[in-house]
Amino acid sequence: MALNKPITLKSIFYTAVSLVWIFGLSAIGHIVMVLIEKYNPAIKYDFAWGCAIVGLVVLYLTRFFSSDGWQSFIGCLAGLSVWFAWEYSLMYGASRLGVTYTWNGSYPEYRMMTWTYMMFVMVFTYLLFQESVRCNFIFFLRRTFRLMRGPVATGKVYNYGPRTFFEYIMVTWCFYILLMLAYDEELLGVYSWFTYLLFFASFSVFFYLTYKLLGYDRFGANLRYAIPTVTILWNDVEILAKWGMLKEPWVHINWPIMSVIIGGFAISTWLIVRDLRKRKLGMIETHDIT
Amino acid sequence: MNLKAFSLFCLLALVLSGGASAQEKSLKEKRAERLLDLEKRFFEASREGKTIKGVLVEGNSLFNGTTAPHQRPWGQPYTADELKAARQSAERNSKVFLLSKDGTLYYPTVKKGVAVSQSLGAYRFERVLTEEQKKTNTFTWATLVPMVGREIEVLGEVYDGYAGVKGLYIEAVGFEGEYLVGRND
Repeated sequence: MALNKPITLKSIFYTAVSLVWIFGLSAIGHIVMVLIEKYNPAIKYDFAWGCAIVGLVVLYLTRFFSSDGWQSFIGCLAGLSVWFAWEYSLMYGASRLGVTYTWNGSYPEYRMMTWTYMMFVMVFTYLLFQESVRCNFIFFLRRTFRLMRGPVATGKVYNYGPRTFFEYIMVTWCFYILLMLAYDEELLGVYSWFTYLLFFASFSVFFYLTYKLLGYDRFGANLRYAIPTVTILWNDVEILAKWGMLKEPWVHINWPIMSVIIGGFAISTWLIVRDLRKRKLGMIETHDIT
Repeated sequence: MNLKAFSLFCLLALVLSGGASAQEKSLKEKRAERLLDLEKRFFEASREGKTIKGVLVEGNSLFNGTTAPHQRPWGQPYTADELKAARQSAERNSKVFLLSKDGTLYYPTVKKGVAVSQSLGAYRFERVLTEEQKKTNTFTWATLVPMVGREIEVLGEVYDGYAGVKGLYIEAVGFEGEYLVGRND
């Protein structure tokens, strides 16, 4: 287990880089959508098709990479790409169905997404009982509710690319649904107890997950674990913006702040790629722990 | 992946993003020109009294007589409970109308000649900002539902409509305060 490993400077470095990279990825994803909507909305559905195709092709390409680090890195990019396509498909559906904005400002596509919650529950239930799934949270649920009849699958995993792709999509989907249910004034509301609870729970869980993340000292596992960690922090960013306490730089196109985020993303990409290259060349010792 | 392949990828991304950035600049300029023109026409029309000022009201409760925003003091079309219900109905795609001070009811619609259109509740209207508002980095667009119950000023085209209800193509809107209620109001 990751927590049995000592926290070293090396693991702090890997954690920081992974967090910056995943955060940058989400922020850049948002600003790309905002820029398209603002300056050239006519291309958005072509862009969505492009993203879907590129995402799926890139996902296929992960089969040619043996390292779990490269697989996770590329799987993450493929996940974001296909997520773009999913959001745009909902945008198109909302436009066709005449879904309006809400009075507290939620966008039609996210209103549509709210009501996919039962689909999410069905997919999650499958994952819960699928022996080969090794997500820590699902392990926790299996242990707590004694869900498994036999031992879970062990051994080396060879397809981290598709797993990371799927993880990225599932985690993002889960928290969008949670936020949208919280924002729904007919169910809970932006200033309801649930939204406050979600805010403080997300804040606390982010620190807990970061502490756990410190136990991983290589980019494969670290990147995968950083996805839920950053997405949970992102809940707080979204809620603060909804409360009017934060003007998101990617929504209001604040270039000075976005430049810092893009710079951080570029540097972290370079650090990850350099590390993965060195590891492949055997310049960094790798223990097969994942 | 070796370094050469990665460098090639970065180079390609740089070239593509350079092209995209140049295109974005030109699109940005076009948009800026359009907004400037809109702003000029909006304030000119406003000075000449050619804009339409009114409050946005929810249609279902107005037409079935559940609410009577036209009989209430100007600027307060609903009680707190009525407003909550009106917003809820508007979210559920009940149509939103503009009620002007002289009692004329306007049905927001698309430009004359457009045959296939979408619900205007899902449409983003350009928002004209005053110099003070520009300093606040506020939203540069607005949609109808969040503004139900609020007074807005519209630059657009008025059509004859039907049975006294006029058609209104909204080109741009202007209003005080933030677009979303509760945000820095």
